[in-house]
Amino acid sequence: MTIPTHDPPTPAGGPEPDSSGAGGGRDTDEPSKGGSFLGYLLRKLGGALTSMILVIVLGFFAFRMLPGDPVLKIAQERRMSPAQIAELRSQYGLDDPLVVQFWDYLVGIFTGELGESYVYRKPVSELIVDYLGPTLLLTATAAVIAITLGLWLGQLSAWRRNSPFDKLASSTSLVFWSVPTFWLGLILLMIFGGTLQWLPTGGMITPGLDPWSFAGIIDVITHLILPVITMVAVVYAQFLMVMRASLVEEMSEDYLTTARAKGLTEDEVRRKHAVPNALLPTVTVVFMHLGGLIAGAVTVEAVFSWPGLGKLTFEAISGPDLPLLQGTFVVFSAIIIVMNLAADIVYRFLDPRVRRA
Amino acid sequence: MFTQGKLRRRLVTGFAGLAAMALVGSIAAAPAQAATEEAEDPSVMRIATDDFIDSFNPFTSFYLMPTNTFKYMYENLVANSAETGDVIEGLATEWNTEEGGKRWTYKIRPEMKWSDGEPLTSEDVAWTYNQMMEKDELSVANGGLVENFAKVEAPDESTVVITLKEPQANNPGQEIPVVPKHVWSKIDKPGEFKNEENTVGSGPFQLESYEANKSVTLKSNPNFWRGEPTLDKIQYRYYTNSDAQVQAIRSGEVDFITGLTPEQFKAIEDADGVETNVGNGRRFSGISINSGLADADGEEFGTGHAALKDKKVRQAIRAGIDIDTLREQVMQDYAQPATSFVPSVYEKWALPEDDPVITGFDVERAKKLLDEAGWKEGSDGIREKDGEKLSLRFLTDADATVEQNTAKFVKPWMKDIGIELKNEASDVDTVSERSTKGDYDMYFSGWSLSPDPDYQLFINTCGSRPDAEGSGGTSQDGYCSEEFDKLYQQQHVELDENKRAELVHQALALHYEDTASITLWYQNQLEAFRSDRFTGFTKQPTDGGIIANQVGYWGYSSVEPASAADASGGGGMGAGGWIGIAAAAIVVIGGGGFLISRRKKSDDRE
Repeated sequence: MTIPTHDPPTPAGGPEPDSSGAGGGRDTDEPSKGGSFLGYLLRKLGGALTSMILVIVLGFFAFRMLPGDPVLKIAQERRMSPAQIAELRSQYGLDDPLVVQFWDYLVGIFTGELGESYVYRKPVSELIVDYLGPTLLLTATAAVIAITLGLWLGQLSAWRRNSPFDKLASSTSLVFWSVPTFWLGLILLMIFGGTLQWLPTGGMITPGLDPWSFAGIIDVITHLILPVITMVAVVYAQFLMVMRASLVEEMSEDYLTTARAKGLTEDEVRRKHAVPNALLPTVTVVFMHLGGLIAGAVTVEAVFSWPGLGKLTFEAISGPDLPLLQGTFVVFSAIIIVMNLAADIVYRFLDPRVRRA
Repeated sequence: MFTQGKLRRRLVTGFAGLAAMALVGSIAAAPAQAATEEAEDPSVMRIATDDFIDSFNPFTSFYLMPTNTFKYMYENLVANSAETGDVIEGLATEWNTEEGGKRWTYKIRPEMKWSDGEPLTSEDVAWTYNQMMEKDELSVANGGLVENFAKVEAPDESTVVITLKEPQANNPGQEIPVVPKHVWSKIDKPGEFKNEENTVGSGPFQLESYEANKSVTLKSNPNFWRGEPTLDKIQYRYYTNSDAQVQAIRSGEVDFITGLTPEQFKAIEDADGVETNVGNGRRFSGISINSGLADADGEEFGTGHAALKDKKVRQAIRAGIDIDTLREQVMQDYAQPATSFVPSVYEKWALPEDDPVITGFDVERAKKLLDEAGWKEGSDGIREKDGEKLSLRFLTDADATVEQNTAKFVKPWMKDIGIELKNEASDVDTVSERSTKGDYDMYFSGWSLSPDPDYQLFINTCGSRPDAEGSGGTSQDGYCSEEFDKLYQQQHVELDENKRAELVHQALALHYEDTASITLWYQNQLEAFRSDRFTGFTKQPTDGGIIANQVGYWGYSSVEPASAADASGGGGMGAGGWIGIAAAAIVVIGGGGFLISRRKKSDDRE
C-alpha cells in the first residue's frame, strides 16, 4: 500500500520514498562485480549535488517571484519619507540588479554567509544555528518515540496480521496520520493546556528558569510533552506500516520454518530471526523520513510557539524576510538531501544480498 | 515459559525504574517549587505577544512591539494624555511658540534622573534630536518626525529650542523617544546597537532582558518622575498563534492579551478570574477607491475602471453600502460607527456625525447618481455606458475573515444598484503589490492614527502620491485635490486649536464628499486580563479606550497586584511539573530497561 505523505514533497525532486516497505522502488543498483561500491557512491553523490544546486538556484528565484515588497511592507502605516524608504532599499541590497543580487547570494552560500535577516538584523547563518537546537530537541525526541512505537506496533501487527489487534493498531495509526497536524495540536492544547491546565500552552521553557538546572530540565520536558505527542501521533503510522509490510514479507521465508523446527518458541523466532531481517529495509525508509520530520516540525512549532527553525521559517514567510527565507529553505533542503543520501548508503551497507557480493 | 532469567531481568528493570523515579522526584521537587514561585511572582505581569522584534534601538526599530515598548522605556518632550490623547507635559513642563509656529521653546522639568541615576537635562533632548537630523543611520525609523527641523539647541540646562524649516501647529516634541546622551554618545556604531538588556531611560519601565521568540522582560524604573510603578516587572511571553494566547490566559500562564477576534473574545468572556475590555481604538477600516491614480508629477498609472474617475459613481457606491449593517454583522458590533478617516476617539478632530456632508444608506439616491453619471441599466441589470459594463474588482485578503465577509455583503448591495462587484481574494502581499501598482478598482484598507491628524491629512495631499513602483511619498488612497491641499496647509500652521479643528473638519468633509475612500468603522481592540491577579489598568481614552498599543505609557504603569488572597496559581508545583517528572521517569526507566535487555541479549548469543 502507499501511504499519503504528510510532509511537503521533497524539494528538488528528490525521490519520494516509497513506503511499501522492503526498500521497494529504491535504486538498489543490483550488485555488479568489483568496485561497484565506489561507482554507486559517486553516482549517488552526483545526484545529491545536482539536487543541491537546483535547490540553491530555486531558493533564490522562487522567493523573488513572491508578490509584495519587503520594504513597503515594513514601511506600511509608518511615517516614512521617500528618502528613508530608498535608504532601506539600498541597505537590503534590493536596488542592485537581480544578477548582482544572485551573485552575492551564491558567493554567500559558498562562504557560509547567508546574508542578513531584514527583521532580526543578524546574519542568517547565526540565526539558523541559534534556532536549530530547539528544533533538533523536538524532532529528535519525537523521532525516537515515533520510530520505537511504530516499529514495535508494526512488528506485533505483522506477526498477528488480520487479528483484531492488527486491525485496531493499523487503523488507529492511519486515523492519526490523516488528521491535520494543526488541528490535533490545537485540540490537545485546548484540553490539556487551557481546560485541564496540566501542561503549558506554549513555549519551550518558563522564562527565568536556567535550562541546565534540574527544575529547568523538568520544565523543558513538561513543555515538550504536547508538541511531541502531536508530532508522534501524525507520523508513527509510516514506521508502523513499513515495519509491518517488511515483516509480513519475511514471514513467508523458509528460514523461519527452519528456526521453528529447531524448537524455538514463536516469540524467539519473531525476535531473533524475523524482526532483525525485516529491519533492514525499514532502516532505510526511516532515514528517508527523518528529513521530512524536520520539515513537519514547522506546523507543530507554530501551534506550540516552539522557538525553533519552523517558527523562524513561518516568520520569514510573513516578512517576507528574503535572506532568512532563502537560508532556511536551503538548510531544510540540504538536511533532506543529506538524509536521502545517507539512506542510500546505509541501505547499501545493510542489504545482506549486496554484502554477499 | 517464565524462566529464571526473565524473572531476574524484570525485577532488575523494575527496581532500576523505581530508583530512577525516586531520584528524579526528590531532586526535582524542591528546586522546581522554588522556580515556579519565582515565575509566578505576583508582581510580574505577563503579557502574551507574537510580534516581530528587530531590535530595541529606538532610532532604527520599525516593528510594533519594540515601538510600543519604547513608549514605556523613553519619554518624549511632551506626552499625550490618557484622557483624550491631547498634548500634556512630558519631559517639558511648559512650552511656547514664536514666529507663527516656527520656533518652539520648551522648559525642561528640573531634577529629573535617568534610570541609572544620572541627571536628565535639555542636553539629552537636543543631542537626541541632532543625532537623528545629522546621521542617516539614526534617522531610519523616525527620520520623518524631524524632517521639518532646521536646528535644535539647548541654551541652558532647562531649555530646549526647536527651530523649524516651516511653521507647524502640531507640537514637534511628540513621539520622538529621548535617549541618554551619556550612554549613547559612547556607543561605537549607534545605528547597529541592539539595546536589548539593562537599558537606561527615563520612562516607567526599562528593558531588563530579551530572549528572541521566548520573552521580553521589563523592570520598573525607581527614578520615573511620576513615581515608581507598583508592578516590579512586565514580561512579554511569546505565543505563535492567538488561539494559544487565549488558552494561556485561561490557564493563567499570562495575565494580559490583546487583539482578540470577536469569537475568541466571546469564548473567554465568562472564564473565571478573567475580565475583558472592549477598547475604542485609534484605527479606521475602509474601502479605498481607485479614482484615477497619478504620481506626484501627474503621470497617470494603474488599471482602475474609468467610471471611478467620476465622483458621482463613487458617491453612488457609498450610498449603496449599508455601513451600519456591516458593522453589526461583520464586526459583531465590536466597532464604532465611522464618518471619515480620523477615528472618533480623537473627539476634537474627528468629523462630527451630524456634519451636513454625511449621507446614509440610500439605494434610490445611489441609482439616481448612477443615472446622472450616464450609466444605464442593461438587460442583465448591470449598468452600461458606451458599450462598457460597470463591473468592478474588489481586492481582499483571503485570510482576513472580516474582509471576506464584507465582500459577501457588499456584492449583492452593489448588484441592487446595477454594479457588478468581483471579489478578487488573494494573499496580503499580492493585495499590497497590486494596490501599489494601481491594479485595482477598490480594496480593503485601514490605518492607525496618532493623536494629531496632521500626518494622516498630509498623506492625502497631492504631493504625497507615490509612483507605480511605490517610490516617492505614501498616500492613503491616491487622493489629490487642490482645495484639500489648501485646507491642509491652513490647518498645518493654525496655532489656535479651535480654529484648526474647524479647518480639519472642513478638509475631512471635502474628502468625504469626494469619496476617495469609504470609511466603514473604527474597530474595537478586544483585550482580556486576569482580574484575579491584577487591577488598575488605565485606558486611553480613559473613557472606553484601549489598554495596549496606546500613544503613551499609561496602560500598565498604574497596574497593581490584586490582593494576595485572590491570586490564583501561586507557588507549589502545578500538574505540569509532576507530569514532566513522570515523563522523565518513563524515559529513564525505558532507557534502563533497554540497556538491561541489551546486555541480556549479548548473554543470549546463540
